[in-house]
Amino acid sequence: MSEENKYNKPLPEFRPETKPFWDACKNHELLLPKSKETNEFFFYPRALSPGDDMAEVEWGKASGKAKVWTYSIHHMGPTKAYKGDGPYVVALVETEEGVKMMTNIVDCDPNDVHVGMDVEVVFDDVTEEVTLPKFKPTA
Amino acid sequence: MASTIPGIKDAREILKKNKIVVAGIGETEQGKIPNKSSFQFLSEASKLAIEDAGLKKTDVDGLVTAFSLVEHTFMHCTTFADYFGLNPKFFSSIAIGGATAVWMVAEAAMAIASGQAETVLCVRGDNTLSGISSSGMMALIREMCHAEFEYPYGLTTPGGYALAAQRYMHEYGATSEQLASVAVTMRKHAAMKDNAMNKDPLSIDDVLNSRIIAEPLHKYDCSIISDGGAAFIVTTEQKAKELGIEKPLAYLWGMGQGYSHQYMTTLQDLNQIYSAIERSGKRAFDTAGIGPKDVNLAYLYDCFTITVLLELEGLGFVEKGEAGPYALEGRMEIGKDLPINTHGGLLSQAHLGAMHHVIEATRQLRGEAGPRQADNAEVALVHGNGGIVSAHSTILLGKQALS
Repeated sequence: MSEENKYNKPLPEFRPETKPFWDACKNHELLLPKSKETNEFFFYPRALSPGDDMAEVEWGKASGKAKVWTYSIHHMGPTKAYKGDGPYVVALVETEEGVKMMTNIVDCDPNDVHVGMDVEVVFDDVTEEVTLPKFKPTA
Repeated sequence: MASTIPGIKDAREILKKNKIVVAGIGETEQGKIPNKSSFQFLSEASKLAIEDAGLKKTDVDGLVTAFSLVEHTFMHCTTFADYFGLNPKFFSSIAIGGATAVWMVAEAAMAIASGQAETVLCVRGDNTLSGISSSGMMALIREMCHAEFEYPYGLTTPGGYALAAQRYMHEYGATSEQLASVAVTMRKHAAMKDNAMNKDPLSIDDVLNSRIIAEPLHKYDCSIISDGGAAFIVTTEQKAKELGIEKPLAYLWGMGQGYSHQYMTTLQDLNQIYSAIERSGKRAFDTAGIGPKDVNLAYLYDCFTITVLLELEGLGFVEKGEAGPYALEGRMEIGKDLPINTHGGLLSQAHLGAMHHVIEATRQLRGEAGPRQADNAEVALVHGNGGIVSAHSTILLGKQALS
């Protein structure tokens, strides 16, 4: 990868308990953590279920389908790396499994995004190590 | 005697018995002040508050500070004790973002009620505008959101509040004009405040025509960043008498906290935010034995216009969804239904968390607010929120002792 094309936006630093999520993303698969006791999904990944059960965690495959719960078209990014990019959509989507994920809504005009919009996961291989799950309008 | 776990009734009895008061207030100049350091602002504000109360430095035996966005300290309170030359019996640094200043009063009160100190200096100051580096600002933004699951999507701090605002507008039909009117009211109030950073008249159109930062929030929906310091002294009515404090006292009537979430990702719905604000307010109201209708002045956390609307509703001053029209009708102005942030708030006066909110509430109860003085300034509510409408704290202050 040449210097100019180098991805210089913020990247996640994996923790041991979050690594299965990122490993799956790299394989273009959306895995979500859930409680071994109640089978309830939660997000973001933690070492133990944040529910009252404090249970061990297992991973379940997500359908990849979600609805936009809220969004904001950002006209300014958090770092210099966003300069010249133009407005982008940061959204909280609610997945079919009932958890919320922060993401970008891509492959559409930002002005077409609305609350309740049906979206589906796409995988953006931003570096060799990191794949970010993003969402696009359902065809 | 059987032991019992203290509840609201006991809290009320403790406040009635101890008569905790805010007795001295001090605020430095605010704005862009590039020739002063963070600890200089802390020192100057502390001196002003001590002098306002007519005290000597040696009368202070407790210290509560917050944190600095510029000077990275591991132990902020004791770093300042060393710098300022204090030997406190009780010391604590509070780091709950915008909920900090309000909770300083509560923490000082709890220290006093449990015999740890008698006269507590609470101070915050920072050269945030002039002193913060771009890497420091980036670190701040990163800390406001989840570094691993939110920040990689380019979420900014205004963006986090924009997510809340967008959902609020979707659910309740609130408009950008209604949000803008909050900023307009704050500017009107700031025009009457000596040390306010932004005093130029501001119209709804000015807000709507200002640069979009993160839709639906414009530049003037966002609070300012400033340099400055502010301090207040918490003690008891009896100690104030012993020390010969002559300034009118503002009495603590109640306090409470409410937690909603840290990261927007774990927010279930808007009711989770409302519930946290309500619980924070309810414990303060129940302790004081009053309700929202008994409050004459409210100091709400206005880091963004949206927070004022959520807090006005969550605290029970208006029904859910009614704060927007309430703001647009100008009912938060001095002389109207419920004057809010009579000093101009974070949107126009200065940004030092809710320090100035506590100080202005005290000033109003003293009757010392000059051109901004509200009629019937008997009971003031001060509410702070940290994170992205995440962590809440509320206090109630009265002109008279709690009875």
